[in-house]
Amino acid sequence: MDTYKIIEIKESVFEDNNQRAELLRSELKKERTFLLNLMSSPGSGKTTTLVRTIYALKDEMAIGIMEADIDSDVDARTISKTGAKVIQLHTGGMCHLDAEMTRQGLEGLGTQGIDLAILENVGNLVCPAEFDTGASKNAMILSVPEGDDKPLKYPLMFSIVDVVLVNKIDAMEFFDFNLDVLKERVSKLNPGIKVIPISAKTGEGIDQWADWLRGEVKMWNNNSDCRSL
Amino acid sequence: MHEMGIVIKVVKTVEDFARNNGVTRIDTLVLQIGALSPVIPRYVESCYPMVVKNTRLEDTRLQIDVLPAMARCRACREVFDVLEHKSSCPVCHSGNPEMISGNEFMIKEIVAF
Ligand SMILES: Nc1nc2c(ncn2[C@@H]2O[C@H](COP(=O)(O)OP(=O)(O)OP(=O)(O)O)[C@@H](O)[C@H]2O)c(=O)[nH]1
Ligand SMILES: [Mg+2]
Ligand SMILES: [Zn+2]
Repeated sequence: MDTYKIIEIKESVFEDNNQRAELLRSELKKERTFLLNLMSSPGSGKTTTLVRTIYALKDEMAIGIMEADIDSDVDARTISKTGAKVIQLHTGGMCHLDAEMTRQGLEGLGTQGIDLAILENVGNLVCPAEFDTGASKNAMILSVPEGDDKPLKYPLMFSIVDVVLVNKIDAMEFFDFNLDVLKERVSKLNPGIKVIPISAKTGEGIDQWADWLRGEVKMWNNNSDCRSL
Repeated sequence: MHEMGIVIKVVKTVEDFARNNGVTRIDTLVLQIGALSPVIPRYVESCYPMVVKNTRLEDTRLQIDVLPAMARCRACREVFDVLEHKSSCPVCHSGNPEMISGNEFMIKEIVAF
C-alpha cells in the first residue's frame, strides 16, 4: 500500500533572487561600480536618454552599458557610437532580468574600472518591477505620450524606483499630460521620490538628471562601509 | 508573460529538493500564490505540463492555493482583505493600509511516496 507523506518545503521562489541581488549589490559596492537599473515601457526613450547621459558624464567617469533586448542589437549599436563600453544581453523571451542574468551581463561587460554601469531593462512596466537585479539604484522613464495616469495602472513600478524621468517634455503641448498631477500620484505611492522632467531630444533637463546620477555614483563609490540603499 | 521562466525555476528547485531528500515519486506539488502576486495561477497551470516534461515531476499533479491579500489599517489597526475593500479600511475608511500578505509565491509542500 502506498504511504503518502507531505513534505513541507516552504520556500519563497523570489527569496532566492533577493539573496542573489543582495550579494551582487555588495560585490559591486566593493568593486566601486554603481549599477543603475533603467526601466520603462517600450519606446519611452531609454536608449536616447542613455546616449545623452553618456555624453554628459563620460569625461568624469568610466561608463558601461548593458542593453537587454529580446532578440535585437539595434540599441547596443546606437550606444556603441558614443564610445562607451556596451554589451547586448539577449533575454530570449524573458520579460525581465533577474539578479543572475544581471550578474552574467556584468561579467560579460567587465566591471573592472567601470564607475557607472547602466542596465537598460526590457521594455515593460510590470515584470521588471518584481525582480531585484542587484542594482544600486532603480530609475524609470515615463514619457509624456504614455499619459499621467500610469502610476495608477502600474503602482508597483512607481513604488520601487528611486527616480522617475518624465521624458519627451518637448511634446507636452500635444498631450493632456499634467506634470503636477503626475507628481502628486507618484509621491502618494512613493514619498520622497525624485521626479525629473527631461527631453532626450532637445537635452532639456539632462543636466539635472546628470547631477542626480553623479551624486549617487559618488556616494556609492566613496564611502566603503555605508550602503546608500 | 513571465510564468514560464518562473515555473522552470520552481521545477528545478523541487527536483533538487527531491534529490537531496531521497524522494523518488512526487504525487502533488503545492504552490501558494498571493492574490496580488505578479504570478498568475492560470498561466502557471497552462505552462506547467510543458515544463515538467522529461523531469522528475512529469507525473506530478499541480495544486495552487491562492492566499488573500490582507492589509492592516494604519489608523485603526483593522485587518482586512484589500481586494474586497478596494484598499480603504472598512471600519474608518482611511486609505494607504500596510500590506501584510498577498504578494507571496511559495513552494509550500510536496505530497510524496
Ligand atoms: N519628441 C521626443 N522623442 C523622443 C524623445 N526621446 C526619445 N524619443 C523618440 O522616441 C523613440 C523611442 O526612443 P528610444 O530611445 O529608442 O526608446 P527606448 O525606450 O530605448 O525603446 P525600446 O528599447 O524599444 O524599449 C525614438 O523615435 C526617439 O527618437 C524625446 O525626448 N522627445
Ligand atoms: Mg532602447
Ligand atoms: Zn481603519
